[in-house]
Amino acid sequence: MAWLTSLWEAVWHWLSTAIFAPIWQEIYKTVIEAGRWRFYVQGIGNTLLMAAVACLIGVAIGLLIAVVKVVHASSGEKPKGWLRILNWFANFYTTIIRGTPMVLQLLIIFFIVFAAAPFHMAIYVAALAFGLNSGAYVSEIIRAGILSIDRGQVEAGRSLGLSSAQTMRLIVLPQAVKNILPALFNEFISLLKETSVAGWISVVDVTKAGDLIRTRVPNFSPLLVSAAIYLAMVLGLTRLLKGIERRLSQSDRR
Amino acid sequence: MIVASNLCKSFGELQVLRDINEEIHTGEKVVVVGPSGSGKSTFLRCLNLLEQPTSGQIFFEGQDLTDPKTDCNRLRQKMGMVFQQFNLFPHLTVRRNITLAPTTLGLQTAEEADENAMRLLTRIGLADKADVFPRKLSGGQQQRVAIVRALAMNPDVMLFDEPTSALDPEMVGEVLDVMKELAREGMTMVVVTHEMGFAKEVGTRVLFMDEGEILEQAPPEEFFSNPKHPRLRDFLAKVL
Repeated sequence: MAWLTSLWEAVWHWLSTAIFAPIWQEIYKTVIEAGRWRFYVQGIGNTLLMAAVACLIGVAIGLLIAVVKVVHASSGEKPKGWLRILNWFANFYTTIIRGTPMVLQLLIIFFIVFAAAPFHMAIYVAALAFGLNSGAYVSEIIRAGILSIDRGQVEAGRSLGLSSAQTMRLIVLPQAVKNILPALFNEFISLLKETSVAGWISVVDVTKAGDLIRTRVPNFSPLLVSAAIYLAMVLGLTRLLKGIERRLSQSDRR
Repeated sequence: MIVASNLCKSFGELQVLRDINEEIHTGEKVVVVGPSGSGKSTFLRCLNLLEQPTSGQIFFEGQDLTDPKTDCNRLRQKMGMVFQQFNLFPHLTVRRNITLAPTTLGLQTAEEADENAMRLLTRIGLADKADVFPRKLSGGQQQRVAIVRALAMNPDVMLFDEPTSALDPEMVGEVLDVMKELAREGMTMVVVTHEMGFAKEVGTRVLFMDEGEILEQAPPEEFFSNPKHPRLRDFLAKVL
């Protein structure tokens, strides 16, 4: 078996000199040399911050828009004036958001709407822009969830004398949540990745970090490291959300 | 107690109720029968404004429900309703189903509502199911819970929309028994049903509806033994 051992040694030698060493060198130059990892750390922090803030804004806006649309649609032939105005605004908002590119929305909000914002505030403007964008999609998810609840539930609530707001809050939304969560979690994952355009307004997120390092280390690995970081974040988030979903569906089987 | 005057309801082109004038008095048990599509469910649902009438008025205890200034949520508290599909809240326990409205509306404290719920559940023999979720109950049990959920609001009138139509035959009896007991206690009831036996036994007045109109009404003895309108005769010949 001696020949087998020597063959393995030859292969290992080739592997380590031709493959592992260059890769290690590459990664060393990209991540460790000159403390470049700090770009990535900063990027991860900024990406997560933007995603988290945008997620909260998105859910808040989405819920509001969805409720306006559902209440308007269910209020029969002649809805009240203020409801019509709200509904018009909700439709206008979703149309604009879904009909224009994210990057352009980001640029418009930063350079036109918040033209006076200093650059260090860019990350908050970006988070707001992503939240406004996400809200339009979240509203459709929540609206579908609300519509999935049988009309009889609303009728039962109203017949007991509950107001439409109480019926929505105590009867419809708690049931709709279970139908909404899977799609909503999907949206969160998309949102995390969509923040990658924040570099357009000079926010150093994971993508921008990789791009900055690329200008110093003219090689392929900076962007691949960025990609690996996103992948790891998405996998971690997916696991977390799956866990939450499972916990909720367990309580469902009581 | 309830007055419907010149009540009309259309869904788009389809006219479901044609100029109905009807009065329901305290203590009456009015049973509404008729072929499907005759508008009897729509009529019942107009009484507590689950359907908005196209024209006409509904008065409940002297107040015009169709007047936009009327607080119809408050009036609905006094009109219990039981649905064909039970419509229990699946995310809440039986107990919570019953106490939700009285506590949310501030009519009873949590303890009062709870006590009341247990008393009502004991009456229908389901006290042991108080902390169970509705899906664990049979159809008949669910409908009995739905009835006491409405009763927990201490309504002045109970509206029943085909309460036994979605039940397996062997469960119809237990629901009708609860309704009969309610009738004996003097509750004012309006019942849309296909149960002719119930109409005969419990009804003080039976209405026959067809194509959006009340074609005939009479006390049950007369209604069933001496029907006058040819369409009613035709209908009774089919169902009896």
